[in-house]
Amino acid sequence: MTATEQAGTSAPTPVLSLRGVSRSFGAARALLDIDLDVYAHEVVAVVGDTGAGKSTLVGVLSGAQQPDEGQVLVDGSPVALADPASARSLGIAAVFQDLALCANLDVVENLFLGQEVVRGSLLDEVAMEKQAWNLLGQLAARVPSVRIPVAGLSSAQRRAVAIARSLLGEPRVILLDEPTASLGLTQVAEFLTLVERLRARGHAVLITSHSLSDLQAVADRIVVLRLGRTNGEFRADHVTYEDLLAAVTGVAR
Amino acid sequence: MYPARVGEDRVTPGSQTSLREANRARIVNAVQQRGSLTQVELAGVTGLSPATVSNIVNELTGSGVLHTAPTTRSGRRAQQVTLARNLGLVAGLHFGTRSLRVALSDVAHRIVAEQRLPLPPDHRADSGLERGAMLTAEMVASVGATMSEVLAVGVGVPAPVDVRTGQVSTRGLLRGWDGAAVPEILGARLGVPVHVDNDANLGALAEERLGAARGRRNVVYLRASHGVGGGLVLNGELYHGRVGAAGEVGHVTIDDNGTVCRCGNRGCLETFVGAAAILETLRPTHGHLTLRDVITRAEQGDPGCRRVLSDAGRHLGVAAASVCNLIDPEIVVVGGQLAEAGEMLLGSLRATVMERAIPSTSGPVEVVQGALGASAEVRGALVVALDRVSITAGVLAP
Repeated sequence: MTATEQAGTSAPTPVLSLRGVSRSFGAARALLDIDLDVYAHEVVAVVGDTGAGKSTLVGVLSGAQQPDEGQVLVDGSPVALADPASARSLGIAAVFQDLALCANLDVVENLFLGQEVVRGSLLDEVAMEKQAWNLLGQLAARVPSVRIPVAGLSSAQRRAVAIARSLLGEPRVILLDEPTASLGLTQVAEFLTLVERLRARGHAVLITSHSLSDLQAVADRIVVLRLGRTNGEFRADHVTYEDLLAAVTGVAR
Repeated sequence: MYPARVGEDRVTPGSQTSLREANRARIVNAVQQRGSLTQVELAGVTGLSPATVSNIVNELTGSGVLHTAPTTRSGRRAQQVTLARNLGLVAGLHFGTRSLRVALSDVAHRIVAEQRLPLPPDHRADSGLERGAMLTAEMVASVGATMSEVLAVGVGVPAPVDVRTGQVSTRGLLRGWDGAAVPEILGARLGVPVHVDNDANLGALAEERLGAARGRRNVVYLRASHGVGGGLVLNGELYHGRVGAAGEVGHVTIDDNGTVCRCGNRGCLETFVGAAAILETLRPTHGHLTLRDVITRAEQGDPGCRRVLSDAGRHLGVAAASVCNLIDPEIVVVGGQLAEAGEMLLGSLRATVMERAIPSTSGPVEVVQGALGASAEVRGALVVALDRVSITAGVLAP
């Protein structure tokens, strides 16, 4: 590191890192010797073909799966993420493809499920509703009402609710697994704007997807996974679509 | 511009009927351009007597072309006149360097839907137009309308455009869009007439009609965003020049020995205040930032970011002063994302213009922030689309 970089704003430590992480399922090696850093106030995109190891990577980062080898570091010190709850307590929240919302419950009930705000022995509905609007407002999410069942929302609105829920404990890292799958273009537009909002709020955001152009639109860095290995890391504003595609498919350029 | 409706029997020129027909067109035209006006303002703009205006407005309201609503102006009761909503929709698309903005409005300039889609760097015309068309169609469906209700589409792109052909007329300024036949591709995809112009020109038009430069006839619009562009309104008309490159202040030479610009020259204004230049200046100390980050940090008091913004204002001011000396505008409107920095940018810009432009007995030229913000260009695209729609008094008449 040069002198000027040290003189700058507090030579940042990555919020979340992987060092030499490997993970196998039987004979299938899903991740192989992965190094990865995620900084605050940054959007990292992880791209790769089906079977490249994207979902396993999110699994390891969120505590849902344990690495066979290597270390997970939070703020530079090694931690053991035994389960998603311990990851959450360290400020790492994940939103998976299936969103895990209860379709019959309304937006407020979904947001606070298992972490309801109580006053005395009663639920503090007013406080929860206020906080729900506040969160959705910060994400500029357009939801008609917070008192309608989630089943009545569009898939982008549901995703916004799931992301809002992940924000409740003020996590520092938000992991989004395949968030743009099965969305219409209007919803993709709303989602990408939402990611920009998360970045502006200072969160570290890690997104996996196989839609290159969507990710390139909002990412600061792009990490390409191929067959469980890192096949290149790029600055999103400098890399061309062709170079990314080459890295994803493994063509030499 | 708006063909007076030719009825079953021809109207003799110079007759009472043709005069009335012309006055009607004049009023519809004025309302169409300004969005909404009071009857008194209409009389002022069209030069017709208040009684004539009142008669014609009543008649057109009856035939469903105009809509009136009571309002107050300077404490007096007045009639606010707009075009009736059910005449149709227009769509505006603004392809920026890093985002696409799409808006739908009714013929009374009321926005009914607006959406922004972040785009990857160096996006291509083919995928961009495809996504623009899809997003437009989805948005039209989302407001419960069909594409057949869309009367026209206006499009802005961040490069000089020959408005006669709708093609990007300079090579290399918008990589991936060179020679793209935007009106043909988008028109075929949407089945609607498409009109294309440079985005800064559209911003200038929007600020002149609906924003900070309302009522001014000579306007300079500076668009400082990822790239730097400019638009000129001269004598109330958008000025395009020979092939649409008029007002390209981003490529005014600031330093003969400067770095090479994407246009092929050296030391252009854009190599000093374009996003790439600003972010690269801050990279050694601040790391990777976006333009939005720079403004946020400057607002929080970060001295480096503030300095970079005020330097950008100074460089923009040098170019703006030259433009002011050439065309002597009534107002300079600054738009684009950098303008969101407000006085941090405008302060030094204004000071530089004052210092370098030729002094006038009526004081220095006004330098203001755009009133339409990030929507200025897409609003301009809507204005262009609306201007090309011919609304005749007979649209809804039986």
